Order: sequence, then C-alpha cells, then structure tokens
Amino acid sequence: MSATSLPTAATAAAAKPKDRRRRKRRDLVGLLYVLPAMALVVVFFVVPIGMTAWMSLHNWPLLGVPRFIGLGNYVRMWSDAGFWSSLRFTLLYTAVATVAIFAVAFPLALFVERPRPLGALFRTVFFLPVVVGFATASLLWVWLLNTDSGLFAPAFQALGFTPQRVNILGDFGTAFPAIVAMVVWKVAGFTMILLMTGLQGIPGDVVEAARIDHAGPLQRFRFITLPLMRRTLGLALILCVTGSMLAFDQFYIMVAGGPRNQTVTAVYTIFNQSFVSFRLGYGSALSIALLAILLVLSVGQLWLLRDREDAR
Amino acid sequence: MRAFETLLAAATALTALAMPAAAQTLTIWSRSGQGDTLEAVAKAYGESHADKVAVVTLPVDEFVQKYATAIAAGNAPDAVALDLIHTPTFAQAGQLEDLTAWAKGLPYFGALSPAHLSVGTYQGKVYGLPLTTETSVLAWNKDLFRKAGLDADKGPTTWAEWKADAARVTALGGDTHGFYFSGACGGCYIFTFTPLVWASGGQILVDDGAKATLDTPALKDGVDFYRSLVAGGMVPASSRTDTGSDFLSIVDGKIGLQSIGASQIGVLTIKYPDLHFGVTLIPGRDGGTSSFVGGNNIVVTKGAKSVKAVEAFMEYVYSPEGQRLMVRHGSLPARSDIAADVMKGQDPRYDVAVAAIAVGRTPYSPLFNDIINSPNGPWAQMMNAAIFGADPASAIRDGQTRMQDVIDAAK
Repeated sequence: MSATSLPTAATAAAAKPKDRRRRKRRDLVGLLYVLPAMALVVVFFVVPIGMTAWMSLHNWPLLGVPRFIGLGNYVRMWSDAGFWSSLRFTLLYTAVATVAIFAVAFPLALFVERPRPLGALFRTVFFLPVVVGFATASLLWVWLLNTDSGLFAPAFQALGFTPQRVNILGDFGTAFPAIVAMVVWKVAGFTMILLMTGLQGIPGDVVEAARIDHAGPLQRFRFITLPLMRRTLGLALILCVTGSMLAFDQFYIMVAGGPRNQTVTAVYTIFNQSFVSFRLGYGSALSIALLAILLVLSVGQLWLLRDREDAR
Repeated sequence: MRAFETLLAAATALTALAMPAAAQTLTIWSRSGQGDTLEAVAKAYGESHADKVAVVTLPVDEFVQKYATAIAAGNAPDAVALDLIHTPTFAQAGQLEDLTAWAKGLPYFGALSPAHLSVGTYQGKVYGLPLTTETSVLAWNKDLFRKAGLDADKGPTTWAEWKADAARVTALGGDTHGFYFSGACGGCYIFTFTPLVWASGGQILVDDGAKATLDTPALKDGVDFYRSLVAGGMVPASSRTDTGSDFLSIVDGKIGLQSIGASQIGVLTIKYPDLHFGVTLIPGRDGGTSSFVGGNNIVVTKGAKSVKAVEAFMEYVYSPEGQRLMVRHGSLPARSDIAADVMKGQDPRYDVAVAAIAVGRTPYSPLFNDIINSPNGPWAQMMNAAIFGADPASAIRDGQTRMQDVIDAAK
C-alpha cells in the first residue's frame, strides 16, 4: 500500500468515498491474486493437518472401524519409550548432520564463489550429488559400504587400516558416521549454492572499505561476511534442520533402523506405527507432536537469526 | 438407412454385452521372490480358458502394507496370493471373503495342505486356501564338501555334524565360508532358524499366538549353536546386516551350507547349473528334524466382484494338470491325494522338500508382520542381538518381554 498517494488533510475529506471504493477494489483484486495459492495451501496443507489432528483423537486402525478416544494417544505417547528414544536419536542426527553439512558447505561456497579457472566445473561437480534422489543415493552407498563387494571395507583392509574386512553398517559407531558421510555428500552441494548466493550478495565496496581499514581476513569474515549473510544462513539452516528432523529414507534403506534399532528416527517410528502395526491414529498423534517440535525449532532459529534493526 | 442404424446399434449392444464375459481378467497380487510358479499357471490358464489371470508382483518387504492400504483406500485387487502366515491378520480384521461353502464342497478338500488351512481358517470359517507350498530345507555345496574331504552326498543330521562340516569347508580358506544366514531378517530367521527350535522340542508362540515363548532352553541352544558358527569365523561378516537381500548367498559357490526354501531349488538348478548341491531336512540338536511350511494362500478381498472367477481359477490350480504345472515351476503340491502322481519324474531333491511337510510347522499369529517380519520388531531385533551381541541371555529375555508387550497391546 506504500504506492498509494498520501492524501493531504484538505483532499482527504473530499476524496474519501472514492478512495475507499478504489481501495476495496484493490483489495478484492489482491484477494483474487492470492486465491489460487490459498486454495492450494488449504487443500494440501490445512485440510490434511486437520484430518491428521482429528485422526489422532481416535483409535484408528488401518483396517477396521475408528473409535474416538480423546487424548488417549497423547497420553500413551508420554510413556512410549520407543518414540522418545527415536526422537533423541533424531535430534542427535540433526545436530551432527547440520554441523557436518555446514562445515563442508561453507568452505566449498567460499571456494567456488570467486571467479577462478574451472570454477564452473567445480561448482557442477560439487552440486552433482544433489540431483540424485535420496533413495538412489542410499542404495548406491549400501553397495559402496557392502562388506564383501563394496568399496570401503576391502579398501580399508588393503590399505592396512583394518586386519580383516569390517562390516561398517554392523556397529552404530561406524554405521552412523557412514550415513552422515552419505548425507553430507548428497546435501552439501545444495547448501553450498545457497551460501554462495549469499556471499555474492555482499557488496564489493564494503569489503574493500574494510580492507582499507586494515581488517584481516578473519575479521572481515567475522564482522562483514557473517552479519551480511544472516538471512541466507537462516534459510540454509532452517532447510537443513527441517530436512534432518524429517529424515527417514536413508535409515530405512541403508540399515532398516539397525543396528539394534539404534537409528530409528521419529518419522521411522511414525511409519512403523501407522503401516506395520496398523495404528493410524497413534501415528497421527506422533505426527502432530513432531510438527509441534519442528514449529518450535523453526521459530527459535528465526528468532536467533532475526535482524537486530527489525527487533528494535 | 434406418435399418442400418438399428443394426449398428444392436451390434454395439451385443458386443457390449459379450465383452465383459469374454475378456474378464482376474488380477492377483503376489509377492516378489516366489519364482515363476503363479505366472506359469496363470499363463496356462489363460491359454485354455476364456478368462485371463494377470499376476502383479509387489516387493516382499512392503507387501502387507500395500495390501492393507489398498483395502483401506478401497482399491484392493479381488484376489491375492498372500504369504500364508498373514492370513489371520486380514481374516481377523474382517477384510476377507468367507470361502467356506465353496471350499468344503471341493471333493479333495480333506487332502489340501493342513498347514495352509490351519492359518487360513479363522473362527471355523475358511478364508484362505493353499496356492503355492514350500518348506525350508538345509542345502549344502557338494563341490566344496568334496574339496574339504567330506562325503559329498551326505548332509548333516545333528548340530555337531553341521558345525564340523562348516568348519572343514571354512578351512579351505580364501573367501570360502562354512555357513550363511541373513542376520538382520526376521522373515528369514522364522523360515530357517525356528526349525532348529521345533526339531529340538521348542515353540516360539502358543495359544493361537496369544503367548510368546521365546525364553526357552531350545531357543537358547539354537542361538548358542549359531553363535559358535559366527565365533568360529564360519559365517561371512556381511551376514550381520543382511536384511534378506543376500538370502541366496550359496549361489556364489563359496558357501558350504545354507538353509533355503524348496521354491528356490528350481531357481538354483535352472539359473546356476554349475552349482552342485544337495538338500536335507533341517536337523535338531541331537537329531530329529523340522521345517517351516510356508507358501501362499489364495484369499479374496471382502466385497470382491469376481469370486466365481477366483474359484474357477483355483479349481484349475487344484486339477492334476494344474498341480503338475505348479510342481514343474517350483511349488510343492497342495493336494496330498495326488502328490505322488504329480511329483513323478521330478528332481529327487524335491522328495526331501515334500518330506519336510510332514515334520514341518506354520506358526499362527494375527500380528505376524508386527512381531516377526518387521526389521524393527521384537523377533528380528532379538535374534540379531542374541546371535551377534555380547549378552544373548538378556537379549532373549528382552525379546520375550517386548514380543509379549506387542501382543498384549493389540488386544
């Protein structure tokens, strides 16, 4: 609305009814413009969430007749050790994966951001794994990690790291890092591109001015690059955390939640409850709980990364 | 002109009337990894009958979920070749057609596989009837046995012999191992490991699946036996995480002994002609034998329109011609009255697989997928922890508690 002319006190009185009509029409047109988007959100987001919430109040078997039980599913969730341990693992995975992805993606972004020979090639190579689907990437790594016919176990043995072939996916201590490595390989390229656009958005003259003031590379990074990238960082962080909190494919395909159910994520628990144990109602309750947790996490991140100017 | 139009209309109406009857296609869902038995019979049926049968194969690991969600969504197929152990799940949920009247009218009903009917019958009504039949047996690689200085024509009859044979084959060195099993696969364990327990006098589920009996000496002994094979380096390291995808490792020619399904005897002989193998009944600790009698039941989804077509197809399957065809494509006969006749001229190894039916069992539980087959369920978890973990006794106790918890929670 900032484009509307600011009426002076004199013209305001005379133009009021006309203005109001125009504004009304403008509002109506605006509504028409957002209507398709709203319809999509309502049909594909609001209604399903409403249905999930409704189902979570029932004992809703996949086969058979649903029965209303109020908050019974939520009460049960409270004492469900399996769900809480899967949630703990999901948080651990999110923390580790996010740190690992940023630790790899940020240096890559700094590397590919500046024009250099073969820059486009590097960018493409780093980004290439992103276009592979998660399931495909998981299957590829299952083969790479196979004890007998894979790459790593025989290679480690040949190089003398291990006395015999080790089943990397057999122990949590080796399986978890292997899966995180796969995720970093698969996702870091995307985070790199996001961070790169943020880096390119930093005006050259600001950096130049800092350099003239004798700011070292570390100081420039800390006081110029990071603050000016806050919005980009926020976006990359939220995408990364949300994606990790909803992880399922790689743990389902690569280790089936093993070894010993130690890598069952929250979504994996929801899947098992809904489609293995056929408890759709309970699965819905867990979904709503996970949604609430994600909401809190995202709001928290937005608050942490808010623009201080806006906050004032 | 008008006459012509009338004629045209009449012709159209006639074809419309004739079409559905002439080109009715019955769709049957089946799980992967079952050989080509059903496809072969469906093809032969289509060639000799007006009706056609189309077989749709779904991944074995997702089969129960897919069928259940299809029922919930209202687009399930009329007929399903259901892993027989899942029949109680769907019968109890009231999702299957009652086939009692037709089934009991079959002149050979009394000769149909009792294992299939034991899980296909719920509260006195028949919901599932035998389609394909198989048993678990112990296979050994004759070439490796000969190389290791063992009698190539004699499989083990006790656990001590089994272990000694495995040790000798392992001693050949290189990539050769004495034994293989899929160590992270609940369905594989129930098929190949529980016969050890049964042959030694144990049970894993009693009272129609209402009570788990895992914490027993028979199961503990079986676990200790497998542990000793693993500890002796007789099992490849990859076994521990195999969720069933490498179930047929014996085909590489580097595995001495492995429990397999009778339906795989055909696959092995046709696809791997260079693999010379024998089969024997899975032994108990000091002798005795057992087997898992498995295969598929034919079930009809509640409210299906083509029940008659399913019945007609099944009557063909049960005919001597159909049974002979099934046997030629890897299934054991469903009818005991003509079994000897249709098995005539078959590979003698099938005789072992047929003998397994008499000593074999089929566990009963309406929660089979939940407690046994799910890779995160109590059975798969317990077996993996008990065989590969540090403390088998507590793993078994833990498994017992968890399985009973799941059973009780479903009441």
